[in-house]
Amino acid sequence: SQMDPDAVSKAFVEHYYSTFDTNRVGLAGLYQEASMLTFEGQKIQGVQSIVAKLTSLPFQQCKHHISTVDCQPSGPASGMLVFVSGNLQLAGEEHALKFSQMFHLMPTPQGSFYVFNDIFRLNYA
Amino acid sequence: MALPNQQTVDYPSFKLVIVGDGGTGKTTFVKRHLTGEFEKKYEPTIGVEVHPLDFFTNCGKIRFYCWDTAGQEKFGGLRDGYYIHGQCAIIMFDVTARLTYKNVPTWHRDLCRVCENIPIVLCGNKVDVKNRQVKAKQVTFHRKKNLQYYEISAKSNYNFEKPFLYLARKLAGDANLHFVESPALAPPEVQIDLAAQQQHEAELAAAASQPLPDDDDDTFE
Repeated sequence: SQMDPDAVSKAFVEHYYSTFDTNRVGLAGLYQEASMLTFEGQKIQGVQSIVAKLTSLPFQQCKHHISTVDCQPSGPASGMLVFVSGNLQLAGEEHALKFSQMFHLMPTPQGSFYVFNDIFRLNYA
Repeated sequence: MALPNQQTVDYPSFKLVIVGDGGTGKTTFVKRHLTGEFEKKYEPTIGVEVHPLDFFTNCGKIRFYCWDTAGQEKFGGLRDGYYIHGQCAIIMFDVTARLTYKNVPTWHRDLCRVCENIPIVLCGNKVDVKNRQVKAKQVTFHRKKNLQYYEISAKSNYNFEKPFLYLARKLAGDANLHFVESPALAPPEVQIDLAAQQQHEAELAAAASQPLPDDDDDTFE
């Protein structure tokens, strides 16, 4: 049965950011060894290195607010391209930061998805 | 440099770029100056809050448009738009967090790549905290790069004016320029142990006459 890509991507995005905001180390379950993250231009590969990067960011509490989620089916392997824009509020900061993030999701044999590519940028001049 | 929606003035004004790791006290420091805090403006496309800080010198008023980030430095380096047209700078680290001093060379490199030959002050903040991780005599980076160094405590206002006086003298080309009036500052939130701090300043002065460490690679262990 074919899942609705928009519904899947929206569910994924909500799950991703709620995990990021409440239990960052739990993001490990969404990446695999071949996964790649480009975070503000820094390239990182592999689930361990990616989670190490995300958990070592020098802020504890944060809250992602999603503005838009766009998605497209990608390639013969039934992957999915997801593009997110939103605001990120850090504890102790007066102003929220704008961000964009792109995920390339790949299906797992269990019928779920993992993040194969992940590119994150803050949006400012 | 003021933001487009910010009032300009008919006396000398300069863009002051503040850099350093997240959590070192950059925002706390600029917020001490009360009129600057009242007149600050936020520009979301650049992600910067600009505080206009006025000082009163024997040669007249001077204004520093202090550029402070909205926390982007916690994600990585800052974009060129933050540095561009910077006329002077403060690099801040936290004397209670060693890593923030270790990252000073990176901030200095990023700054100098865009802003060549501007006066720069290195500030070691939070000297009011008892358990320092970076001792005064371990701070040597400024000597390698010809920067001025001050120990400060934003929360107690200790040495608040020193970085601005140094930059004002450099920008005016007048080593005798001095402040004739103090700006209104937020009241101190903590008290500094002045005797202990005088000891640190003495150690700093003694260290200045010692040869620099051999390692030329800007590392700090």
